[in-house]
Parts: sequence; structure tokens; C-alpha cells
Amino acid sequence: MPKKVGIAAVAQNAGVESKDNFYDQSYKITKEILDKAGLKREELETIISAASDIFHGGISCANSYYWETTGAFLKPGSRQDGESLFAFFYGVMRILSGDYDTALVIALCKGSENPENDACTLMYADPFYQRMIGMNETMAAAMQMRIYMERYGIAEEQCAKVVVKNLANALGNPYAHRKGRFTVDDVLGSDRIIDPLTQMQIAPKSEGMVALLLASEEKAKKLTSKPVWFRGFGNSIDHYYIGDRDLLDSPLKTAAARAYKMAGISRPRKEIDIAEITEPYAFQELIWCEDLGFCGPGEGGKMIDSGATQKTGDIPVNPSGGVLANNPYVSRGLQRVVEATLQLRGEAGERQVDKKMKTALAHGTHGFAGQCHAVAILGV
Amino acid sequence: MGNPVAIIGIGQTEHGKRMDVAYPELVREAVVRVYEDAGLEPDDIEGIVSGTMPSMMEGVALTHFYLADAMASKGKTILKTETCGSTGMSLAHTAYYWVSSGIADLVMAVGHEKMNEGDSQATMTTVGDPFYQRYFISGAPGVFSMQSQMWSVRYGLAEEKIRDAAAFISLTHHDSAFDNPYAHIKKRLTAEEIKTARIITYPVRLWDVCPNSDGACAVIFASQKMVKKLGIKKAAWVKGVGFSGEEQFFGDSDKAVWQSAVLAVRQAYSQAGIKNPLKELDVAEVYNPFTFQEMMFYECFGFCELGEAPDMVLRGSFTRNGDLPCDPSGGTLCTNPIGATGLIRTAEAALQVMGKAGDHQIPGAKLALSHAMGGIDQFNGIMIVGSEL
Repeated sequence: MPKKVGIAAVAQNAGVESKDNFYDQSYKITKEILDKAGLKREELETIISAASDIFHGGISCANSYYWETTGAFLKPGSRQDGESLFAFFYGVMRILSGDYDTALVIALCKGSENPENDACTLMYADPFYQRMIGMNETMAAAMQMRIYMERYGIAEEQCAKVVVKNLANALGNPYAHRKGRFTVDDVLGSDRIIDPLTQMQIAPKSEGMVALLLASEEKAKKLTSKPVWFRGFGNSIDHYYIGDRDLLDSPLKTAAARAYKMAGISRPRKEIDIAEITEPYAFQELIWCEDLGFCGPGEGGKMIDSGATQKTGDIPVNPSGGVLANNPYVSRGLQRVVEATLQLRGEAGERQVDKKMKTALAHGTHGFAGQCHAVAILGV
Repeated sequence: MGNPVAIIGIGQTEHGKRMDVAYPELVREAVVRVYEDAGLEPDDIEGIVSGTMPSMMEGVALTHFYLADAMASKGKTILKTETCGSTGMSLAHTAYYWVSSGIADLVMAVGHEKMNEGDSQATMTTVGDPFYQRYFISGAPGVFSMQSQMWSVRYGLAEEKIRDAAAFISLTHHDSAFDNPYAHIKKRLTAEEIKTARIITYPVRLWDVCPNSDGACAVIFASQKMVKKLGIKKAAWVKGVGFSGEEQFFGDSDKAVWQSAVLAVRQAYSQAGIKNPLKELDVAEVYNPFTFQEMMFYECFGFCELGEAPDMVLRGSFTRNGDLPCDPSGGTLCTNPIGATGLIRTAEAALQVMGKAGDHQIPGAKLALSHAMGGIDQFNGIMIVGSEL
């Protein structure tokens, strides 16, 4: 059985609304990644996709719709729902089992054909209690932000700085959906959606076909001269009812601890060179940095003030612009892995972080106020 | 295949119209039972994989959130596998690869559905693309009836013969369900009643079709190390897995010889070293929501030659006393909580090789096949389990 799993190639499309239909988009990305790896469809062994019926343009059983466009015709495969990092992990398992030497992991979400994200996230709410009061991800996030500011004295301005940083980073990312140079005042002056969240602090709704080719150690070395290696994974989930949870004690701590243990990381701030994390709401980047151990509890505000998470800082966070710049809901976790891979390979173009890098972290979250988190560690 | 993997615990609900419980309570019932069966606590488990049919079925999306407490999953590593009707089998596969990869030693798979809280046929109609297929595919029976017509025409099967064979299957499965404490539809039928029941979609009649069931199934998979450590005597070892998928537009390919079924079973047989399934397998839990389709599976799985299934059925080859007993649990025909159904097939196969199937035990069963299918005639998955490593 192989000891190591490598990433042999990556591909993604742009987040803006595309005139290409779903089939064309997913076919093109599949073709692109196979071409990059120099692999024929016939040689590809298994396909794990990620998609969610609720984010799938009103078509149920998402994999039933797109199966053949992902190169999976008459091939063994499976699908993960909701979080594309699950599919990444499942792909890794399939390689480690020794049954397969290559696995295509592909996340599919055509945001432009979906209703607003929160029309979908409302359907996470149970139909009896939470849905009646309109609970959705943005409402849950607003409550989480309020508690965060009150418990640790975090200022709205500090949260807004995340938007300023990430949308400026996105200027270097040709795939980003939303980008630009903005000020803290621009961010705080945008429409108030659910207090204290303003429009610019909330991620958009984007397109995203994101693909990654996994291979066993030997095969990866044959397919690419610059393999990036899987080093660790962890995920965790919290209680369901939001009132049963401490929204500042997130399962991300457990997820990160698991990933760090598998990767042999004991000092994340020092050992991780760059992090791509899922921050659908600006303040969440600050909390997630705390939970990932990049700083202490309540120190997320100080951390953004210090510039440590800037592209030039000691631990750049979201040099791609993150999810605030590009939010293909289900695909965003895998997109973090793709961005982290590009950084480690030195192929991130204008968004490339200018330092020698060995280890990168990719993070995904979904659910009310981060009910579920997943963390992947990559290395060269 | 990777590290050896065994099934060491099974929990099922009493499937049926369960208006006495809410959806999370239903799931809880299966989860409590699997822990009792395996003699384990939720704390012992490293990972959980759950799955169901699409969110439209019950009106709640991404149910791993809603059911987190029912599955006692707080703080655990979680995955969410869904592949349409084959979800239950894909859950078993996920748990298998998780343990087989060496990443975990104990993983629980949970499949669930509460179909009586939604409209299953309306939901399944939305599986078809919105431009072409949705207008003329209403729910599941339409597609599968057309498939059985294609099959009967291909092999020139006399209408009367396949009708008789389908009635035979329906009658024996509904009888078998009386011996399965968890089965949904338990009804003594006559061949005449079955053959004259109201038409659903020609040639499929009422007793040729599975019901809408509420139900959940939980199965615990363990590594060899863990089986030893826990001192488990009765385990069902995974001998082979296979899966294959086809395209969405079902007019584009041959469904009379169902390629994904043929390829999935070939993959599993090759891993399990099975050359003559009819002889080597002791029991099969075939995913049979439609009587006519069950016969096609017998052919695709090599239990008989192409076009021969109706004759073999009428000879009694697949009854509980036959050469290869199929669906002694009553199968999907009598119980179909879709997201759980494929996993129930694996669970029933495991119970058989562990000798724990109770009144529907096939004496001496050592090697069993389980199967699920899904999509618009698109997906087939197989897991073969055996009593020995």
C-alpha cells in the first residue's frame, strides 16, 4: 500500500457568471486537468465529486446529472455532499487503500443558476423551530460576530480589514469573482444586511468547477515534476441547535488538532507557511485564525492589525482573496486546496507569496456559524 | 485490496410508516441499536459517514447538520456520501475505504430516509434534467418499466412468462418479509392477485413495486486489528467492492444488458476471486425495487445466462431453498427507505454470513453479495462479504 498521496495537477474556472452551461464547464475543467497531467480518460481510475442538491440549480441527485462530464462514464466513483474537502479526503483514502493509483477529485457548483445562498442555507434549518424564525447562515454568522465582538472587544473596523486585505489580494487572482481596492469605510458603509454584518463582509455567490488529481507516490512522480504531498486531514462537527452551542468554541479546534497530529505539526504559526481558509463572513477569518492556533483566543483582531496575515506577513492568509472574493459554495473548500497547491508549486502568478514555502493549510467550513469544519495540510 | 475490513455491528429500525417518531428519532433508533449490537459506545468510533436521498425528499438539506445529535457525531470526523438510489451502498464503500486505507479502525455508516414526510415520486422526477427528460419521466416506475420492456424485447421473452416470473418473485419476497422483523410490507398474496393488481406503469403493477418506507440502518466497520482487540467472534469480512456509473440521458445507452451493473460486479468478483457466482455465492441481497428489474440483475451478475432469468426464477433457483437464495429478507420490494436501502442490503448480507439473520437465515451461508442501484438507470454498486477473512 502506498504511504504517500500526491497532488499531480489542479484546475479551476473563474467565479464570475459564465455563459457556458454546467456540462460545458465541468467537461472543460475535467479535460484541462487530464491534459495537464498527460492522462487519458481511459487511464483515470476513480472519480470522487463534490456537489450538493440544494446548490444544484433545482436538480436532485447532482451526480446523476453530471456523471459523464467528469470523465466518470463506466468508472467507479462516489460523491460527497456539502463540503468538497470531504471529497478530497475520500480521494486520499481510495489511493491509500491501494485499490487505485489515480483519483480525480472534482467539485461542481454553478452559482449563477442557484438562488441566493441563504435561500439554500435556510433549508439547513429544521422545519419546526429554526426555519420559522428565518435562521440561515448569515443570521447565524451575525449572532456569532456580535458575541465575538462583545466577548473579546473586537472592533467592527478590525473585521472590515479582512475584506480590505482579501479583495486587494484578489486583484492578483484571475479566477476571483469580486476584487478591488477598498477602505474600511467602504466596507462598513455598504448596506447593513443583518446587523452587524454589512454587504461587503458577506461572500458573494460564484461559479466554481474545481478539480484536483490525486495519485499514489510513484504515479505522482511520473505525472509531475512538482508533486505536492498530502500530509494531514481533520474534520469535526458540532451540535445542531445553535442555542446548544458556544459559537466561539468551534469544532475547528478539534479538526485542526487532528490534521496537525497526522502531519506532525506542533507549532502551527511557525510551521505553516501559508493558509487558505474559508471565511464566508469577514470576522470569521479572525476567529478561524485563533482556532487554527495562529494566535491566542480573542487575538484575531490584533493579528490582522499586525499585518501578519498580509501577503508580506509571516503567515499569509488567503493570498487568493479567499471566499470573500470567490464563493462557489460547495467547491470553495477544494478551491482552497488548489490555491495552496499553486502557492507551494510557485505557480500562483501575481498572487504568489514571495518566500520559500514547505507547508500549506487549506480549510473549509459549512453550516450555521461553522457547525462543521475541515482542515487539510499539504507539503512539498 | 487494502487492509482487511470487517462489519462488526448492525442496527436497523423497524421500517415502515413511522409517524410515531420524528426524523432524528428514527435515526437515533438505528444508531442506539448498532452500538448495542457491537458492544461499543459512541466514544469508541473515530468517524461517521451518513447519507440519504436529495434534500427535497424530507425538505431538509445537508442532513448531517440536522441529524448530528441523533448520530452522536459531535466532535467526530464526518463525511456525507450521496449517489442517489445507490447512496446506501456508497456509504458502505466509504466506510470500507476509510478503514481499508489505514486512517481509521472503527467507522460507522448511517443511511436514513423518512419518505412518508415528503413526496418521493415528485422528488425523483427532479432527478431528470429540466429540459428534456423531466417532462416525460415521472418518478421511478417510468424509467424502470421502460428498461424492462427493452430487456424483454431484446431476448424475445414472452409477455406471459415474464409476468408469471415477476409474480413468483413478488409472492416469495412478500412471504419472506414475514420472517424479517424489520421489513415494512408483510402481506400474503396469491399469484392471481399480483397479476391482476392495478397498473402503475405498464407492465409494472402494484405488487411489482417497492413501498415508501421510513427507516434507518447503521453499520460499524472495523479493521482487523480492532476485531482482534475487541475479541469479536462473528464478523463479516469485506471480500470485494465494485461500482460503476453511466450517463444521465438514458436513451443514449443499452439498458437491456446494463453495463454499469456488469462492470460493478466484475470489479467485486475479481477482488473476491469469484468465478462462478451461482455456485460460489451462498446468498444475494439484490436491490430489487421492481420485480422485472430483479431478473435483469440476475443476468448481469452472472447468476444465469442473458435472457434466461425468467425460466430460472420459475424453476425456483433463487428462492430460499434454491441454488442461490436472493433477498431472503424480502428485499427492497418490501422495504425501501431509499437512503438506507443499499446499506440494508449490505447489513442483511453481513447478518447472513455471521449466522445472525434469525428466521430468514440461509443455513450455512458463508459468502454473500449485496447490491444497490440508482440514478436514471445509471449507478450500480456491489459489496461482497464473507464469514472468513
